Parts: sequence; C-alpha cells; structure tokens
Amino acid sequence: MVTEEKKSVFRVGNAAFINPVLLASGPAGYGLEYSGMIRLARLGGVVTKTISLKPRAGNPGVRLRETGSGLLNSVGLENVGAARFFGEKLPAILEAGIRPVVSLAAEDWDDYTQLLDETSCHRDVDVVELNLSCPNVERGGLAVGTDPAKVDSYVKEARSRLPGVALLAKLTPNVQDIASLAAAAEGAGADGITAINTVIGMDIDIGKRRPVFRMVRAGLSGPAILPVALEAVWRAARAVKIPVMGAGGISSVGDAMKFFMAGAAAVQVGTAIFYDPGLPERIAEELERSGLPARI
Amino acid sequence: MKGNTKRSYKARVISSERISPSCGVVVFERPEGFPDALPGQFVSVRVSDSTVPLLRRPYSIMDLTGLELALLVKVAGRGSAMLASAGPGEVMDLAGPLGGASFDDPGGDDAVLVAGGTGLAPMIFSARTWKRRGSRGRLYLVHGAASRDESPDSFFEADFDKVFRATMDGSAGFSGDVVALLAKLLDEGRISAPLLYSCGPAGMVRALVERTGDRFKSHHTSLEAVMACGVGACRGCTVPLREGGRIVFKAVCDDGTVFRASDIAWEEWW
Ligand SMILES: Cc1cc2nc3c(=O)[nH]c(=O)nc-3n(C[C@H](O)[C@H](O)[C@H](O)COP(=O)(O)OP(=O)(O)OC[C@H]3O[C@@H](n4cnc5c(N)ncnc54)[C@H](O)[C@@H]3O)c2cc1C
Ligand SMILES: Cc1cc2nc3c(=O)[nH]c(=O)nc-3n(C[C@H](O)[C@H](O)[C@H](O)COP(=O)(O)O)c2cc1C
Ligand code: FES
Repeated sequence: MVTEEKKSVFRVGNAAFINPVLLASGPAGYGLEYSGMIRLARLGGVVTKTISLKPRAGNPGVRLRETGSGLLNSVGLENVGAARFFGEKLPAILEAGIRPVVSLAAEDWDDYTQLLDETSCHRDVDVVELNLSCPNVERGGLAVGTDPAKVDSYVKEARSRLPGVALLAKLTPNVQDIASLAAAAEGAGADGITAINTVIGMDIDIGKRRPVFRMVRAGLSGPAILPVALEAVWRAARAVKIPVMGAGGISSVGDAMKFFMAGAAAVQVGTAIFYDPGLPERIAEELERSGLPARI
Repeated sequence: MKGNTKRSYKARVISSERISPSCGVVVFERPEGFPDALPGQFVSVRVSDSTVPLLRRPYSIMDLTGLELALLVKVAGRGSAMLASAGPGEVMDLAGPLGGASFDDPGGDDAVLVAGGTGLAPMIFSARTWKRRGSRGRLYLVHGAASRDESPDSFFEADFDKVFRATMDGSAGFSGDVVALLAKLLDEGRISAPLLYSCGPAGMVRALVERTGDRFKSHHTSLEAVMACGVGACRGCTVPLREGGRIVFKAVCDDGTVFRASDIAWEEWW
C-alpha cells in the first residue's frame, strides 16, 4: 500500500515513533501544558522537561530575554524531580496518548546512578534522552557533554542500568568538535544522538549597567541558532551510524527539511512552539505527504 | 495534572484608536469559542507572521463582552507598535484567556485600585466585571503615569466611583508617583477601603507594599514578567514567593497573574 510506505515511521533502538517530529525538551514543559495548543498525540513524541533526582527550584532573577530572532533563557533546569515526575506527570502524559521521551540530567555521579535506577523501575519508559549539557558539579560547572571521556562513562552507565531502553545522547554545541562527542556516545552504546542544546550567550542591561541574568550566561535558542545547529547535525551525522535528531531554530517546514537533508533522521521543535504551536504538526503532515527528503 | 485546554484563536481587529500619543485601544471581534475571562487574565498576541519579533506579546484583557475583546496598548517597542497600528480587518493569532489566578470580587466591600501605566487595563476589566455582577462596594482608582501622554483622559472615568491621577512630571493631576498620592489620600482621609488591588511595574507594587501595606486588610497584585509560553510550561516568567520560610518560584502566566503582594520575595527578583 502506497500510503503505508509513505508513513514516516521512525525508530531509535527498540523505540518506535509514528513520525519523526518531536517537541524538544523544555519549552513544552511536561507536554500537558500545551495540550490545548498542540495535538500532541499526532506528533512522534514529546521530550519532557529534563528532570533531576531531586526537584530543582531553578534560577533567581530574570529568566528570559528576546534577542535578534532568538531567545536567551536562564531557567536553570527547574523541574519537579524524579518522584513527582514518575508519580504524577508520566501517568498523565501516557493517559493523554502522548509518546514521551524522558529527559534526564544529574549534577553529580551519585545522583546520576540513583536517577537511572529510579527510571529503570518504570517499565513504561522505553526511551530516554540524556541531557549531557547540564552543568556538572564535579566538572566545576562544565557540562559532561564537553568531554568525550565523560560522555563515554555517562552513556555506558545508562546503557548498563537501563537495559532494553533506547538511549539518546543530547549534545551541546558549545564544544570544539561535536563529531568526536557523537562518536563517543555511539561507542558507549547510545542508540541515537540529539543535537543541539542551546548556545551559550549573555546580554547586558545598559541602563542598569549589569548582566541581564544573575548567572550571567544563558542559553540561546530560536532561529538565530539554526545555522549552528545545522552544521552540528551535518558533522554528527557523518561521524556516527545511529540516528541523529536535529534541533535548533526550526521555525518553518523548510527549516525542518534542511535538517533531514543534513543527515537528521528526526527533528525536534523547541522555541518555535511559543509563537507557532501548529508548526510541528505541519512538518509531520508535509513528511506524510512528500516523504522524508533525501540526505545530501 | 489535567491537560491544559488553553488555546489560540484567530481574532479580527474591529477598531484601533489612539487615546493618547503613546497609547491605543485595540478592539477585536470576540473569536468564536473564546471563553469568558476573569479580571487579571490576559491574552498573548502574535503581532507578526515573521520571527521578528519572535515571541507573542502578553496583554491584559481590558474588556470582554459577548462580541468584543478590548486591549489597552502602550507603544513600548517594536511588538507593541505593530499591535497598536493593526488596522480594522487585520487578523491576528491570540491565545487566551491565560492566567490561573484572578482578582477576586470585593463582594460588598470598598476597594482601592492602584494602576501604574497600562496596569490600568485589568483595573477597567475588574470594575466592569464587578459592576456587571451587581457588586455594590465603592471603587477608587488611583492611576499613575509618567506624563499626561500616558494618562489618557476620561474614557474609563465612568467605570469607577472616583478617579485620582498622578503624573511624574505633574502634567496631569498630582505631581509625583502614584504611591505618594495614595499615601496622601489615605492620610487626608479622602479614601478609605479595606481592600487594595494593584497592577503596574514591580517597583511600584513593592513601594505600595512597603509604604501602605499596613493600611489594608489585603493587597492583591497582578504582575508582569517577560513571557514565552504563557501556559506554565517553559518556567521563564517566574516570581519568587515566600512560602513557609522557603522561596518558591511561581509562574506569573499560570499560577498568577494575581498574587498576594505580601508573599513576594522582592530581593530575589530583578
Ligand atoms: C501579564 C501581562 C500583561 C500585560 N498587559 C499589558 C497591557 O494591558 N497593556 C500594555 O500596553 N502592556 C501590557 N504588558 C506589557 C507588554 O506585554 C509589553 O509592553 C510588550 O510585550 C512590549 O513588547 P515590545 O516588542 O513593544 O517591546 P520590546 O522592545 O520588546 O520590550 C520593551 C519592554 O517590554 C518587555 N517585554 C518584551 N517582551 C515581552 C514579553 N514577551 N512578555 C512580557 N514583557 C515583555 C521587555 O522586558 C521590555 O522591558 C503586559 C505584560 C504582561 C506580562
Ligand atoms: C525555555 C527553554 C528551556 C529548555 N530546557 C531544556 C531542558 O530542560 N533540557 C534540554 O535538554 N534542553 C532544554 N532546552 C533546549 C531545547 O530542548 C533545544 O535543544 C534548544 O532550545 C534548541 O532548539 P530550538 O531553537 O528549537 O528551541 C530548553 C530551551 C528553552 C528555550
Ligand atoms: S511564560 Fe512559560 S511558564 Fe510562564
């Protein structure tokens, strides 16, 4: 059947998605906040807000600033913690027919292993995204994802503690060579790569003569970072055999097509849902109609 | 947690009128299915089809009737200028009504409503909503603005029992800030009411708490913060509140916009 063949079903490890269009972790929270705005069950999936073992309050002060076609955020990984996520949020997400990808991060190794063990207790979870861009205490606040050796140990640990769960390693663009980090994740047993997380930036309040954000640094997202993301996906996709999910600045159907042409097997939409919540579904419909654009 | 049902609508501009050099009132046709709203709730408007500006812009509901949705728009930058200059017939995407906490009806009590700048919008909606419901208490509006340009005359005067104005440059009403005016009115016994409602810049609300906090039984305030999602998802618009000795962050867009003013941990918020 022609229509069957055209269906753009997508897999990472053993996890299947009805289409290769997902919501990126963060902007959509736990998904349900957006259930009036987006028909979430029609998307390949929703990567839920990154959770840590314990709840996190997030950063004080201003958390958002619009830039030229971009958005700086300093949310600081505010999240409800593993217990409430698995106890309250996940059951509601599943009940709503949303396909979750559970995003995890940890500040140190102890928390990390406990969080993996907690996750392994939930048999509903068949795919996890490891947010390797979170500041790591043992690395003096640097992200795990900037060091291939750390990526190797973090992904290996997840591989052994979550057997049978598909693993996505989400990479930061704030590195010299994203290809080597993608390769490290693949070598350690990741089933897929997500690229990219936000680009580090800052802004200054000229009237107050001080940085806009208390933490000074913030993460840039939105159309402004698309070229950075596209190049990262292009290089990562050439460095590994596992599927790469492209994210970063997608704000039109055409933008998504660029990521597929660069070698992505799926895309994630983040910031764009703030102003155009219909975009992810339109991308999915276009793929349904025309099939996946061939890689160049 | 239940799924959120808040969604966006296509809304057609019926009229757009300048009421002062920097402010306008934009009236939309109430979109089909647009739910009833409460005072303090807002809409977020996509002012452009392009990515400039990127985010939707939040606006308090100034009035909502069976047929119309009215916003008070001050030109503050590119996005607000686009909204203020939208002509009749133009269709914009707006999400709403947003906000999970609103101003409670004062019941039969008298109330003082303090507005800074376009903080006026939710006060007008409050007054109209309460009067439509038959609320009997007296409503005093104390409005502060930088100058006469931002303090349009008269279109809202009939909504309140008494209106007092302050302008920083003295071009209309009391010369000075709105908090000083309120303190003076209270001292002189020209107004007295158990309830205080406010909406305006954070600095104004903080000064109200510090200088007139003990004069009212309660003070509820509708806050502003830069917003992205408007539905509690992104956690970008948080305000720090003191809750049992701890600081907790609440989303202005979804846990608010209305909070008890005495709960706000001002020193944690800039
Ligand atoms: C709940 C709420 C209700 C509001 N109600 C009204 C109203 O009734 N009438 C009115 O005139 N204004 C209202 N505002 C303020 C209005 O949203 C801003 O003036 C507008 O977003 C400015 O956009 P701009 O592009 O013109 O200015 P910009 O040049 O982008 O910015 C000017 C100022 O507006 C602030 N701002 C920019 N983007 C946002 C955003 N996405 N969310 C919040 N603030 C932002 C910035 O911090 C800056 O200080 C409200 C804001 C909030 C949060
Ligand atoms: C407000 C906000 C919060 C985010 N939170 C997370 C997060 O918790 N975990 C994560 O891996 N990425 C997070 N991101 C990054 C996005 O998932 C995405 O990688 C990035 O924003 C680039 O895509 P975009 O330009 O489409 O938004 C966040 C982004 C934004 C704007
Ligand atoms: S704007 Fe996203 S949580 Fe309030």
